[in-house]
Amino acid sequence: MDSKILWRIALIVVVVGLCLWSLYPPGEKIHFGLDLSGGIHLVLQVQTDDAIKAELDDASQRLVSRAREEGVEIGSPESNISNLSFTVEVPADTDTAALRQVASDWVPGYKASPGVGKWTFQLPPNMDRTVRDMAVRASLETIWNRVDQFGVAEPVIQRQGLESDRILVQLPGVDDPVRVKDLISSTAFLEFQEVVGGPSPDRQSLITGLGGSLPSDSEIVPGDREDIEGNVIGTDYYVLKKAAIISGQELRSARRSQDEYGQAVVNFSTQPHAADKFGQYTASHIGTRMAIVLDNKVISAPVIESRIPGDGRITGNFTIEGAEDLALKLRAGALPATITYLEERTVGPSLGRDSVVRGVQAAIAGLLAVMLFMLVYYKRSGLNADVALVLNIVILLGVMAYFGATLTLPGIAGVILTIGMAVDANVLIFERIREELKVGKTVRAAIDTGFSRAFGTILDANLTTLIAALFLFNFGTGPIKGFAVTLSIGILASMFTAVFVSRTIYMIALGGRERVETLSI
Amino acid sequence: MRIIGDTNIPFLSYRKIALVLSAVVIAAGLVYEFLGPGLNLGIDFVGGTQIILKFREEPDLGVMRSDIADLDVGTPVIQTFDEADKHEILIRVENPEGEEGDFTRPIIDLLNQDLNSDLDGRFDLNLKGSRELIELLATADPDGVGGDSEVRNLYYEPMADAVLGHRKENGIYFSLDELGDVVDLTADSRDFLEDTAAVGAFSILGAESVGPTVGADLQKKAMLAIGFSLVGMLIYIWIRFQLPYAVGAVVALFHDVLITLIALAVTHREINLPTVAALLTLVGYSVNDTVVVFDRMRENLRLYRGDDLEQLMNLSINQTLSRTIITSGTTLMVVVSLYVFGGDVINTFAFVLLVGIIVGTYSSIFIASPVALSMNKLLVSRRERRRLKGKR
Repeated sequence: MDSKILWRIALIVVVVGLCLWSLYPPGEKIHFGLDLSGGIHLVLQVQTDDAIKAELDDASQRLVSRAREEGVEIGSPESNISNLSFTVEVPADTDTAALRQVASDWVPGYKASPGVGKWTFQLPPNMDRTVRDMAVRASLETIWNRVDQFGVAEPVIQRQGLESDRILVQLPGVDDPVRVKDLISSTAFLEFQEVVGGPSPDRQSLITGLGGSLPSDSEIVPGDREDIEGNVIGTDYYVLKKAAIISGQELRSARRSQDEYGQAVVNFSTQPHAADKFGQYTASHIGTRMAIVLDNKVISAPVIESRIPGDGRITGNFTIEGAEDLALKLRAGALPATITYLEERTVGPSLGRDSVVRGVQAAIAGLLAVMLFMLVYYKRSGLNADVALVLNIVILLGVMAYFGATLTLPGIAGVILTIGMAVDANVLIFERIREELKVGKTVRAAIDTGFSRAFGTILDANLTTLIAALFLFNFGTGPIKGFAVTLSIGILASMFTAVFVSRTIYMIALGGRERVETLSI
Repeated sequence: MRIIGDTNIPFLSYRKIALVLSAVVIAAGLVYEFLGPGLNLGIDFVGGTQIILKFREEPDLGVMRSDIADLDVGTPVIQTFDEADKHEILIRVENPEGEEGDFTRPIIDLLNQDLNSDLDGRFDLNLKGSRELIELLATADPDGVGGDSEVRNLYYEPMADAVLGHRKENGIYFSLDELGDVVDLTADSRDFLEDTAAVGAFSILGAESVGPTVGADLQKKAMLAIGFSLVGMLIYIWIRFQLPYAVGAVVALFHDVLITLIALAVTHREINLPTVAALLTLVGYSVNDTVVVFDRMRENLRLYRGDDLEQLMNLSINQTLSRTIITSGTTLMVVVSLYVFGGDVINTFAFVLLVGIIVGTYSSIFIASPVALSMNKLLVSRRERRRLKGKR
């Protein structure tokens, strides 16, 4: 055997070997999509108008209260979401220069348009986008935290598109949609609670420290332990008083800021009615820790440094991102944008398993029929095609496993379809060889011409199918994408197996003989 | 072995008959689509809620129909799903007047009220979720674990999962006796469940709801995907061959997609995302078939320069006929197997391919080449005229 054939055999062995290796063990390597394994698929929309309203309310109230401190009496702030502005009543005798100064200090960027007895403040255009974007990001964050409680393996929680207000949630194996939806769309639960004990890396030592049992008015709440860079390195537990000092509904806003040393901090303000309560509590608890608890998880437990009136500041070892994150979390609790569900699909595991069984049955039946036909129609060359076909499936599944592609129900259909279409390349080649033999060419020449002539056709024909698959992938969702992927891989694999592998098999079969008189085709 | 020997069929002579035949079918189909019930767009595209339920016994569709009619959600579709002896039912309702929202809950509540009245409020193992079951067990504490609720929750959680796992495995609890098959359940807890729980008439196998916004979105995306891939094909064939061939191939594609859509309308099959995927696959397949014929034409044009184009086309179609038939045959084999064994979910997908492959094979012979021929004549005569004009 000459070196060219050996080189070809080596390549085939390596490719097939790699595919088999990435495929083993098949149960673990082939991921089933939600439609086969069962689970929940949700598309939800964040009502970002809520966040705009909160921003406008916040700005108008800030303006009114700051103006009052400067001795400028204005009143009755009113937000208007549809044209992104708020109005305040401005009496005729107001010092307008002072009002403009307050506005540029405290609601920077807002464009003020004075009117008769009423001024309109327009939200800065870039802020419109920022606020909406923040609302979606805050919702994403909150949903992540909540889904975490479910302990779902490999959840998918992502924004659909960069600027979109839609969030995609996929939870494999979960089949209780009502509960999931309740959990996700309930307003975030944020509380400030008194720390009685902790932090400590294990619960038991906390309880021991309290004299063996947990007082009935306290609870143990976990929180992430983070290193200086903000990476999670473990869990800390805290003993907290159950009764909250204030809750998220009583917060008005939270934003990242800097203290006088340039350190990143988070500023927050409470609703007016909560300010007194909060001020009194903090005044009497200076030096103790206060935990900020979001969805039953301690996100921060700062030490109270001074009395905190309506406006407070959370300091800590924050990076800028860390402060931004915390502000985001506080806003998520304080400014929940409502969530509506646009799309929801739940597949029970028994339904999915049924589909798998049937799909595999159909694949095996189709495969056997095609292989048998090729064998009968093209005799020993048909055997060649059958080998190519089996290798094609091995490569298709192997590549899918390697890239962690998901097998969906339409994906199974794609595999089955590939079986039918993969032999097309072989058929094209064999028909061409038959033609060449008929015009009197020798076997070797017929095979050579057959392969080279057919290759152009195969390339053209397969590229058109790839174009269709490309658009399918681009515009499709979930299961459809899976189909496009299997179809594309199958087509590419068929070009390797039908052209390269089949050719090599002919080389091996005919290689040893001096002269070849007949070809079984 | 050989199915198609050497043929010399003058395919292009039949082009008038073929074009008239296709035109009549398409025209009749379009009239039917517009005047008749039209395309049956599924919830993926119009929005709506679709639930698949499994019943313990043969369900009474009439009762369900009148139950759901009370919900005022248009005419619900209620039909058996999969094989009849599995007692699986598909319920589909449209969202009224563009309303977002999920109608699973109201429908289930309604059926539960009507069909499970004999449970007397006992815990329904066929409808309740794992959290509820954990709570039930942890509160009653049949194994006497003691401790606080957290400890009990942890203790009963695996049991609850096992009990519901059995339901997931089989789709439904037919009777309480099946609790005996749940290995992880302790004897005391089993006794407790046998006393307090019951098996309701049905369980939920799957539920989907798509709001009208997403529906409109998906509809747009599906149209774009089909439109773009047609344009993509046109450009690709234009580059690889010539404009007349590209036009011929795309006309054949339109023809195939239209006839397949008509077949879907006539059979009242639902059009969903997988159906669109099948349509696109059909687009790829049909062009594939056409390209093989065109490829041969190009080769023959080089060999027999100057011969009559119509004869050359006939020769090329005859030369590739054997391949066309065999490939269609092998693809049909797998599609038929998908159609027969694939189950309800994939059935329409297979149907589209089944129709599409037959129509696509026909069109690559009788539509694509004739159109390319006519286009070519048109272009040549125009060029000829322009040349004469220039001379004058």
